[in-house]
Amino acid sequence: MKPDLSIVFANVKFKNPVLTASGTFGYGYELADLIPLEKLGGIITKTITLKPCDGNLQPRVAEVTSGILNSIGLQNIGIKSFIEEPLEKLKKLGVPVIVSIAGASVSEYVETAKILSCQNGISAIELNLSCPNLEKKIVCHDLSLVQNIIKEVKKISKIPVIAKLSPLVTDISELALAAENQGADGITLTNTYPAMAIDIKTFKSKLSTLKGGMSGACVKPMSIRCVYDAWQSISIPIIGCGGIMTGEDAVEFMLAGATAVSVGSSSLVSPINLIKIINEIEDIMIKKNILSIKNIIGMVNKNEKNNTCS
Amino acid sequence: MFGKRDFSCGNILSISYFVVRAINSLSLNTRFSKFVFLVNEKVAYIYISKRFDGNYKIISNREVRAGYFELIVKIDNITRYCSPGQFFMISVPEVFLRRPISIHYVKKDSLSFLYKVVGKGTKILSKIQSGTLQLLGPLGNGYDFKNWEQSSYTVVAGGTGIASIYYLATKLTQNGILYYGARSERDLVCLDKFKKMNWKVIISTEDGSKGYKGYITDMLLKGLNDTTLLIACGPTPMLKKVIQIAKVKCIKGFVSLEEKMACGIGNCQSCAVKINGQIRMICKDGPVFRIEEVEL
Repeated sequence: MKPDLSIVFANVKFKNPVLTASGTFGYGYELADLIPLEKLGGIITKTITLKPCDGNLQPRVAEVTSGILNSIGLQNIGIKSFIEEPLEKLKKLGVPVIVSIAGASVSEYVETAKILSCQNGISAIELNLSCPNLEKKIVCHDLSLVQNIIKEVKKISKIPVIAKLSPLVTDISELALAAENQGADGITLTNTYPAMAIDIKTFKSKLSTLKGGMSGACVKPMSIRCVYDAWQSISIPIIGCGGIMTGEDAVEFMLAGATAVSVGSSSLVSPINLIKIINEIEDIMIKKNILSIKNIIGMVNKNEKNNTCS
Repeated sequence: MFGKRDFSCGNILSISYFVVRAINSLSLNTRFSKFVFLVNEKVAYIYISKRFDGNYKIISNREVRAGYFELIVKIDNITRYCSPGQFFMISVPEVFLRRPISIHYVKKDSLSFLYKVVGKGTKILSKIQSGTLQLLGPLGNGYDFKNWEQSSYTVVAGGTGIASIYYLATKLTQNGILYYGARSERDLVCLDKFKKMNWKVIISTEDGSKGYKGYITDMLLKGLNDTTLLIACGPTPMLKKVIQIAKVKCIKGFVSLEEKMACGIGNCQSCAVKINGQIRMICKDGPVFRIEEVEL
């Protein structure tokens, strides 16, 4: 029997758990010639802000062992242009669209969410609370600010709100719980890890902003730990994110507690990896005789508990 | 070669998207190189390059000069979609990201890439002698020189910029003047090829081991004829100077830009550049831009 890959996340139905990670898939529709976009579980757009944003100076990306550092600086066309064109095209793809947003203040988040909330065809809003590339500090390092943003956006949003959190906090479960308490419908764990690389030829940082966010295969075990910890303390669903290169990686995240996964760096290397990951998840399910992918969510927690009891 | 200037980018994307959806079952992972549609009942053409993501056999990968390698891969049915200035993202074992390398020349069933060993990725690549490599491309927009067939060409190449300039030279309808600058005589990798094509070549080296001692842009400034079409590919400081010279002398032309990139297809947004006051991606909107529009 064909295994069931469908999941429900914050009352939105996805045909499989594999989403594109914010900021790694453009506005989502440009790759129609390279991969069958309709096979994706969903698309999380790159982060949109109220006003257009030019982004940071060059260099914006540096390779590290098994991963990359980036410092794009939220380059985007702004919410107005986004609605006029990319959103119209995204709606026609036939997959759930989650729009990632960010702002320099609570009111910017709220204003952007308000505009999106009036649009048809958006399944959810993802709040980018952890982009480490803005001049101001990471939102997630200010707990009351995080709470405020989620609370205020939830007040006006007619669609589910997902909080994307930074992994670089003392206690990720505390932050996850705070998001849940303010009404978040789900969380994404994790965004990139603040990091730095220096060029020994020039004695300068490899990024124009000196520091950036690290992603790729090298961050996976740390992100899985975050998902595992958060799952213990919250009841809202989690999108697992960080270094997913294969179906096995995606399954690992789900076993740790993720209901869905988002894939970023891997699709930068090769967009077709997104489709391969979906196929590999299905292969693992057949091999392990798993009828529905929903059955494995957080299974490692349950297994560990059973072990402790016996 | 691309109809982009006649239509807004959005139109191109939407049209290509729907056509691709219609044909997905017939030819996976490809898009049309040219198709016809009606605008106000007039026939219009749009050219869009096809790009492919596949495994290709290595024919050879040999050192042509100390530190410089030429990789030749067997590629059937793709070379006709390649144009000068375009590049491929090449997978290299043991490193995370693919490496963008421009096309050096094209034969019916093979592609050549000329590259210099500059870091870990190119070092590993240079040691691979056989097997296959994963290549994504051809990517980006090349030189739109169709309307310039009557003019004379002045071509400036700095360092490995010569690799894609050679491909362009093989496609031009007439010979031009090449201004070729490099660190030292041993870095002048393509000199013989241009001499064979009977191009006039002006050389500079930073150490003075061959030709003029100094930067090639000094020679350009002295010798540049202002009725020519100027084309340049090389390191950013050189391009900055070329753009400045073009502005002063009001000369039109093209520059091929280079920047660190992760994906090569516009998704990571690493390789941003200001073109005519707007942020553009070198990988997707370039790497070749009109000289008068680039703000470096």
